[in-house]
Amino acid sequence: MDVTFLKIAALFYLLAGVSFALYVFFQRDVVSKLSPLIVACGFAAHTAALGVHFFQTGYPNVTQFREALSFYSWVMVAGYLVVHFKYRLSVLGAIIAPLAFLMTLAAFAFGTGSEALPPELKSYWLPVHVTVAFLGNAAFALAFGVSLIYLLSERQLKHKKMTLLMKRFPSLETLDRLNYIFLVWGFPLMTLGIVSGSMWAAIHWGSYWSWDPRQISSGIAWLFYGALLHGRATGLRGRKAALLTTFGFCVVIGYFLWGEAIFPSRHGGRFD
Amino acid sequence: MQKEILIVGLNHRSAPIEVRESVAFEASHLREALAQLRAYPAIQEGVILSTCNRVEVVAAAADGPSAAAEIKKFLDEQGARRNTGQLDDHVYAYQGADAVRHVFRVAASLDSMVVGEPQILGQLKDYYSAAQEAGSVGAILHRLFHRAFSVAKRVRTETGIASRAVSVSSVAVDLARRIFDRFDDKTVMLIGAGKMGGLMARHLQSNGARSLMVTNRTFERAVELAGSIHGSPILFEDFPRYLKIADLVIGCTGAQEVLIDAGAVGAILKERKHKPMFFIDIGDRRNFDSQINKLDNAYLYNIDDLQAVANENLQERSNEAEKAETIVLEEVENFTRWIHSLEQVPTIAALRQRFDEIGRKEMEKSLTGGLKGLSDEQREALENMTTAIINKMLHGPISQLKKNAQQEDDEGTLYVAALKRLFDLEGK
Repeated sequence: MDVTFLKIAALFYLLAGVSFALYVFFQRDVVSKLSPLIVACGFAAHTAALGVHFFQTGYPNVTQFREALSFYSWVMVAGYLVVHFKYRLSVLGAIIAPLAFLMTLAAFAFGTGSEALPPELKSYWLPVHVTVAFLGNAAFALAFGVSLIYLLSERQLKHKKMTLLMKRFPSLETLDRLNYIFLVWGFPLMTLGIVSGSMWAAIHWGSYWSWDPRQISSGIAWLFYGALLHGRATGLRGRKAALLTTFGFCVVIGYFLWGEAIFPSRHGGRFD
Repeated sequence: MQKEILIVGLNHRSAPIEVRESVAFEASHLREALAQLRAYPAIQEGVILSTCNRVEVVAAAADGPSAAAEIKKFLDEQGARRNTGQLDDHVYAYQGADAVRHVFRVAASLDSMVVGEPQILGQLKDYYSAAQEAGSVGAILHRLFHRAFSVAKRVRTETGIASRAVSVSSVAVDLARRIFDRFDDKTVMLIGAGKMGGLMARHLQSNGARSLMVTNRTFERAVELAGSIHGSPILFEDFPRYLKIADLVIGCTGAQEVLIDAGAVGAILKERKHKPMFFIDIGDRRNFDSQINKLDNAYLYNIDDLQAVANENLQERSNEAEKAETIVLEEVENFTRWIHSLEQVPTIAALRQRFDEIGRKEMEKSLTGGLKGLSDEQREALENMTTAIINKMLHGPISQLKKNAQQEDDEGTLYVAALKRLFDLEGK
């Protein structure tokens, strides 16, 4: 597998991360417009990396862990770019860019060998299932980002310690609203991911639900986010919502990174 | 002859407000005043700046000291119309690099009463264009003011001088902005008819707040204040019932006791589905329970907290001001170099003129004396030779001067001064 484009993308994300840090921590206004553009460049390279692979093999490269990681960060960056151009939320990039860098770095650091697509994964379900599932996860990653900023900003307000850092943050109201929006987008996508996965499982494994570890973990995450969404609709907001969002994402990403190593699953994209 | 920049005037530090007011120029008479200023013989270019904190005249003149004296007289006359006494004690005058520095500092808001306040730059631009329209701006002041504007811009972008709120009421609005995205869909409740509370409510209104409730123990005063700030008055007994629709609550009463306790706020928050509330306690005594700040989605700042933030910001501003001073000094140096480089052009011209003159005189002397009776051809050859000698002799010095003019360094100034002395070029 050719990883040149992926390396270029990682480089851009790193650059963007540095540039965002300059903007947030050192108050360099000049880079505020530049940083999202650098992210966009990284995204273009990243798209090229995924595109080249798709045209070479005819299927999206998401079947191995490192490929899934790269695809995940690609979707997340796409989500960030949409949010940035809609809400001008530059500071979110300070979390997303370094995250995207680490994920793409890991994607080629874990090896670059190409493996043939396992026959059981040769299906139209693959792109559908993977895309909706990762879109949902990307929305949760963005929700995690704004929640972190919310918690930081809220803490400073409560402790009455103003730092220049806060000048870069949007209001708590905006952050809370964005958190809710990401959740509202993320949850149905995650639901679709699970539904499409189950249907695919019904076709290939013969049963919609077979208590596979991946199914169980997604089920738990789905219940958690569902409860969170319900809570939000009935008045849960602010710090508690941000804390729960952060917690939920940490569990999901933690499972994504290490879960399959502990609980072997028939699910593709595992780390082996 | 070389022009010098000077500034004469008075500001909030040098003169009390009555004196400043007596000398102030009205906008409607500015054109006239500029014409009067230009009528003084020593003043070639002039800009008048007149705000509530300063009255200053910036001028370019060949003879600095007499121009300064004339501007003082000009200001005296302006003040005399309003029967004030001597201005001498209050007026300062700067020349050369000091004057340039002063203008740059004013533009960058380093000389303002509240350092970093943004209005002064706009005022400076207005007065500059007024002077330009009146035809009293030449090349020197044109360059000076445009440099001043860009220095101000540099200071604004490269330092955090204007980035922080320094008054209690702007700090409160600043904090509110960190909690709320917008104010036009928020409701403000003002408890007590204190002056500061009214001020803060107005500040919030100018930032977009539309819905405002006012309550006071004496209902008449609530009605009165509500009338002046477009709010709706509510009875003091009723205010707890209205609290649940208030997003910002400002307490500014003379009450000795706690008016809102944390338990009540907790219940209200629940009723509001935890929509955030911002409590601002600026009365003489604490009117809001300090435990309110411990509740989720409720934020409480009292006057001391706000003052602490304001002081911190002010401290930060003065730190930033130091950075700004460095920028100003740097720019003054650049500008001074430019001024000096201007001197080289007339010097070159004067030098050439002087040599040509000597050549012409000596030729005439010879042609009417010992060399009388030369043929036209011989005369021409002689003239050519003289010109060639002059050109050859001047070639070195002139190209050196031109080189210095491009470099704009101190050495250039030195050569210019030396040449002026050696060849007696002053006044040419």
